Amino acid sequence: MFKRMDFSSPWIKLAPAILVISLLFGASILFGLAQSFGLMTGTGQESISFEAYRNVFSGQGPAGREFWSSLGFSLWVATASTLLSAIGALTIAIWLSNRKGKSQQTDTLALNWNLAFPHLVWAIALLLFFSQSGLLARFAATLGLIQMPADFPILVKDRSGIGIILDYVTKEIPFLTLIVLAVLRSQAENLDIVAENLGASRWQRLWYITIPQVLPALMAGSLIVFGFVFSAYEVPAILGVRYPRMLPVLALDFFLNPDLNSRAEGMVISFVITLIVMIVAIISLRGEKEDTQE
Amino acid sequence: MKKIIAFLILFTVLLSACNVAGNNTQTSPTTYDINDWDSVVAAAKGQTVNWYLWGGSESINNYVDSFYGKALKERYDITLNRVPVADTVDAVNQVLSEKQAGKDPGVVDLIWINGENFATLKQANLLLPAWADKLPNSRLVNWDNPAINRDFGTPVDFQESPWSSAQFQLIYDSARMQPEDLPRSYAELKDWVVENPGRFTYIAPGPGGFQGTRFAKGALYEFSGNVEQWGNFDQAIWDEYSPLLWDYFNDIKPYLWRQGETYPKDENELHSLFANQEVDFSITQAIVGAGALIEQGLVPETARAFVFDNYMIGDFNYVGIPLNAPSKAAALVLANLLLDPEFQAAQVLPENGFGLGFGIDINRVTDSAELTKLQEASQKLGDAATPPSDLAKALVGDTAAEYQSLVEEGWRQFVLLAQ
Repeated sequence: MFKRMDFSSPWIKLAPAILVISLLFGASILFGLAQSFGLMTGTGQESISFEAYRNVFSGQGPAGREFWSSLGFSLWVATASTLLSAIGALTIAIWLSNRKGKSQQTDTLALNWNLAFPHLVWAIALLLFFSQSGLLARFAATLGLIQMPADFPILVKDRSGIGIILDYVTKEIPFLTLIVLAVLRSQAENLDIVAENLGASRWQRLWYITIPQVLPALMAGSLIVFGFVFSAYEVPAILGVRYPRMLPVLALDFFLNPDLNSRAEGMVISFVITLIVMIVAIISLRGEKEDTQE
Repeated sequence: MKKIIAFLILFTVLLSACNVAGNNTQTSPTTYDINDWDSVVAAAKGQTVNWYLWGGSESINNYVDSFYGKALKERYDITLNRVPVADTVDAVNQVLSEKQAGKDPGVVDLIWINGENFATLKQANLLLPAWADKLPNSRLVNWDNPAINRDFGTPVDFQESPWSSAQFQLIYDSARMQPEDLPRSYAELKDWVVENPGRFTYIAPGPGGFQGTRFAKGALYEFSGNVEQWGNFDQAIWDEYSPLLWDYFNDIKPYLWRQGETYPKDENELHSLFANQEVDFSITQAIVGAGALIEQGLVPETARAFVFDNYMIGDFNYVGIPLNAPSKAAALVLANLLLDPEFQAAQVLPENGFGLGFGIDINRVTDSAELTKLQEASQKLGDAATPPSDLAKALVGDTAAEYQSLVEEGWRQFVLLAQ
């Protein structure tokens, strides 16, 4: 028994937040898990069944036929979006980090401005601009660049997910740039000057000083982006095609299927999403730990 | 410690707020006997009825408020609380969650429902049983009609009461095409599509895209030339004709909008493709044809509805009462009011903004004044409607329920996923 409660312990301070999160998230995760085993789906089933798992993973039946291609498609979209965003953010951040004074504030403002748009709004804006009956298609047709609006290249609602990636990349580059820029502005300069005095070339400085400095932050940010892209619903729902579909779209489709037995399958797919995002979260936490130990 | 106490207080307040929000409807357990209509009306007095219905159309919302809302208040002292939902499945999920949480009474009194959502609630035993034939106005409903006593093939069993009717139709733009150039069968449509590549698409059959499923079922009817045999499920018939259906869709696929790489997922997406002149046909279920859509500005004013010569599936839509409805008596009164000849006549007129067909059989209306009103209304459907004689000639009922998911899953497997 402890003599006296130590209220300065971080766990006590975190207790309210942890309590709410574990209550709300924990309960819904348990609920979802129960549904994936066929319980509480409204069908009156009372025993645990692995049928939904079998249906999804076997590649047979409506859920299985699409599951593996959806998983592949989700991994492709999430990986491509993350890599492109990271490369773009790094380039822009390095370019912007040399700007000083007032323009620095303008840059930050410009980057934040983009963050204010919800993905939903951004996705619909892209649709209005880039679809075949969209603004750009009409301008191009009016200017005579293409014969009619329908000749416009297919950039949204395409089978390779270009539209979805375009949305994520344009939204996540500013997000990652802000993270990288914060690191660069706070510490990079002195080391850079030392290296320059020692005769390091521009590229050497970039490669041996700047990039190693920002890499941990960029990695952590990229994993957040990956986890988000992999599990978000609205963008692929708006900019995606009927096939292949990303996992969250597939999961909701099965969850809302009028046949209550399909709910279990929708929940199984949701759990695959949760599992993969959790793995990514663990990797990112591990990475952070190693950084602090160095 | 203070913080923890503050947090606990906040938490309690939040919880009780949830509780209040959930229970804000009155739960007067006034009893009534369903066989004694006066007792229903008496029990309903002063109640609030929470009607969950698809709220995507402003004109329908206005119609509901100004016609039913007013009449309920004036005649029965019932307050109508119209709860708009983005998709009827949201109301279904509300009722399902209440069941899972053991919440009785719940918050939903009446749902505008049909087809798959009705099947879901019936499957889960969440609907008030055996009431629809007890409504006084139920005598105006032709319960012998299989299109009424079966909903997407699921037996209705008086667990829902009809409101209005709809029939599958196509829409064209009279500024772009002439009536004599329109295809009048699935076979003619195929020729048209091949001659006009990229100018046609249809809604992807599947949950949420029932119009696409209906379009596919019409093709099954045409290929088999026999509608009756689809009324009961028969695997042999399905095995015989479904390959023809996939062949048909795969044959036209290269000539579709976007070469069939993707399809619109619902009616609104197809309307916008049509309005943007990306495709030349849209579809509708409304008896006033394109009329209501023109009012909403979704399609050009020159849009007109038409039908093939045959196999245009028609059906009814209904209202259902959840088993845990807090104000069942008021819900019953409203369901009865929907069948009143006065409102049945009002609902078909395009200017009132609803635009779906009669739920009752007007031949059963004995009051001559009411009958005249109904007949007059059906003469005033507007230019954008399909001529009633064309509609009647092409009208067929839906298939047995089993075919619904077979068509939807088969289409995904053999048409969409087929490369």
